Amino acid sequence: MSQSLRPYLQAVRSSLTAALCLSNFASQTAERHNVPEVEARTSPEVLLTPLTIARNENERVLIEPSINSIRISIKIKQADEIEHILVHKFTRFLTQRAESFFILRRKPIKGYDISFLITNFHTEEMLKHKLVDFIIQFMEEVDKEISEMKLFLNARARFVAESFLTPFD
Amino acid sequence: MSIIQQHTQATLSDAWRTINIDALTEDSSVNFDVSTLHPPLPEISEADARAINGQVRQLLRGGDAEGALRGCLEMPVYNGSEAAKETHLHTVIEVLQSIKASEMTPMLQRIFAQQGGSECLDVLMKYLYKGMAATSAAADSSGRATPARAMTPQATGGFSQVGQRPMAANESTGSAMSVLLSWHEKVVEVAGLGCIGRTMTDFRRV
Amino acid sequence: MAAPEVHHLFHRPIADHSFSADRQTLAIARDTQVELYGRVGNAFKLKDELKGHDKLVTSVDIAPNTGRIVTCSQDRNALVWEPSPTGYKPTLVLLRISRAATFVRWSPSEAKFAVGSGDRVIAICYFEEENDWWVSKHLKKPIRSTITSVAWHPNSVLLAAGSTDAHARVFSAFIKGTDQRPEPSPWGERLPFNTVCGEFLNNSAGWVHAVAFSPSGDALAFAAHDSSVTVVYPSAPEQPPKAVISINTQLLPFMSLFWNGETEIIAAGYDCEAFRFQGGEQGWQLAGTLEKVKAGRPGLGGEDREESALNMFRQMDLKGKVTKDDTQLKTVHQNTVTMLRPFEESGGRVTKFSSSGVDGRVVIWHT
Repeated sequence: MSQSLRPYLQAVRSSLTAALCLSNFASQTAERHNVPEVEARTSPEVLLTPLTIARNENERVLIEPSINSIRISIKIKQADEIEHILVHKFTRFLTQRAESFFILRRKPIKGYDISFLITNFHTEEMLKHKLVDFIIQFMEEVDKEISEMKLFLNARARFVAESFLTPFD
Repeated sequence: MSIIQQHTQATLSDAWRTINIDALTEDSSVNFDVSTLHPPLPEISEADARAINGQVRQLLRGGDAEGALRGCLEMPVYNGSEAAKETHLHTVIEVLQSIKASEMTPMLQRIFAQQGGSECLDVLMKYLYKGMAATSAAADSSGRATPARAMTPQATGGFSQVGQRPMAANESTGSAMSVLLSWHEKVVEVAGLGCIGRTMTDFRRV
Repeated sequence: MAAPEVHHLFHRPIADHSFSADRQTLAIARDTQVELYGRVGNAFKLKDELKGHDKLVTSVDIAPNTGRIVTCSQDRNALVWEPSPTGYKPTLVLLRISRAATFVRWSPSEAKFAVGSGDRVIAICYFEEENDWWVSKHLKKPIRSTITSVAWHPNSVLLAAGSTDAHARVFSAFIKGTDQRPEPSPWGERLPFNTVCGEFLNNSAGWVHAVAFSPSGDALAFAAHDSSVTVVYPSAPEQPPKAVISINTQLLPFMSLFWNGETEIIAAGYDCEAFRFQGGEQGWQLAGTLEKVKAGRPGLGGEDREESALNMFRQMDLKGKVTKDDTQLKTVHQNTVTMLRPFEESGGRVTKFSSSGVDGRVVIWHT
């Protein structure tokens, strides 16, 4: 299992490192503004080719680079409905607290579960390789978290069912 | 001539709010023509792409995997129909899958050292990303059953069994992906991060 | 090779830096102001702040002979700071642009300067005696996107500009009355204002981050976002260039470069360190880094051994890398290098150069 996880994370790591080459860039459409170009999409020449890295059909990462910002969207593995619900609840919990996470986007883009928006102001304040580490760590932790929650949920369901059915024994 | 003048039933809605007025100004930055960022490219039809596929297969059968790889990387389909691009992507992936893991790095190093080898690896990188995007997108559209299934309550069997069937489908795309991922790793080792950078900046998209 | 001289000024990005002719004063573009540092012994001490912009200052340049400082900012303005006994006096320049000003450089003659902008124009500014005012003429065609950098030809007439439309261009910025008629060069003979003497695009079309003329002015180098450095040798006016050599590197993109003589280019950027390129008309190649490997960092390599092999493999398996205490980069600069400038020259070679970066450091290197 982790045999294929390593190349996947390695590919995400190298792609992110290459994409996180951001510079301060003032808007070309609105004067005296400085906005993330990947969100504004007002100048096609400063948007680069989006990259997709996929491990399988359920797990993939989309990196949309631009001159002063990149958007990273992650599709978290969801093997069944329980995981689907858990992922939804979990990402919702995080996105509601987006300002505490600095680079978290409030809304994931379509087809993905969670999105990050990194601008040049983030790379100026934080170490680039640590930002990459954070994303990678998030990706591996979230899988673990979801499967733990699922196990816990199943265990609890079993316990509830058992104690509920004991009188009928 | 203005876009919205009379209040009709249609314009009374909020649709007018979504009109991008910048796009109507000719010299607005929104109207930048990105096709000017590369020299004119020859158009490659689907038939041509199939012809390349045939030649490449011949080379593969002859045991010349390196020649096959170089052959398909030197003729990328930048300008062509979706079908032609799709055909060429399949050609590239076919070649990649036929090369053994132990041969990857030496072969990439040989190609990189040759004249124009760096461009070849840039093209390979483009196809690797496209391959990953295409396969996951295809899986997404075919996997439409999953959310629908979520609507219907499960009869029996418990939750843990539900995942069985889609997981089986995962196996095949998963192995296809792992080929692309290990190629990706090897290409980065040989051509560096600059190769990924060029994949992003290049407006000649495969 | 002596160790580089590191000045860690603050923890904010330095957009641009410039030394005065005697190298005793250092101007730093920091956020919305320009800070002037004076040399005290081995360190630089803050001595003055030039406040006049209300958005990020993007570029600053000190004219070596007159001592005038020109600054430009994302607030669409450029200011010329005139030295006076009571401090620097700002004069607003009539740029007539409606987007951010991104880059400014004095011409070698110091009679005019060029301001690149996000308005898809380059404003060539010169002083008009009768109005007692800095006015500008626009280089407009065929620029189609933000100008990222400009560089002057030694004759003060030709101007190279890099832009996010992936082109590096050479223009004539000839201003009647200010400039002498230039000697004919391979770039062109008759050069009325806004003549386009060359327009270059490299293969993978990255945004051009930096441009520079060689000391003779007969070659142009530019660094683009596709991690490449391209050198152009023009042949004759209106003719295709003799040679266009593109070096696609395995590194991250370069943000700034300068020529060291005619056969060497030094470039630095997102890899946080400077690299040397060597070559000529026949070809160019990457010759290596200017960073001293493992210098001044004792114990590096020794202390990792304590980590258990199991832990290492587990880390590699999970994260695809080995985690160490890696909050510090091995390079002198801890973040992107955004600007390189020659610091000391002798006999046509640059012997020392200075670099500044997003990490708030100014470093003086020996070549």
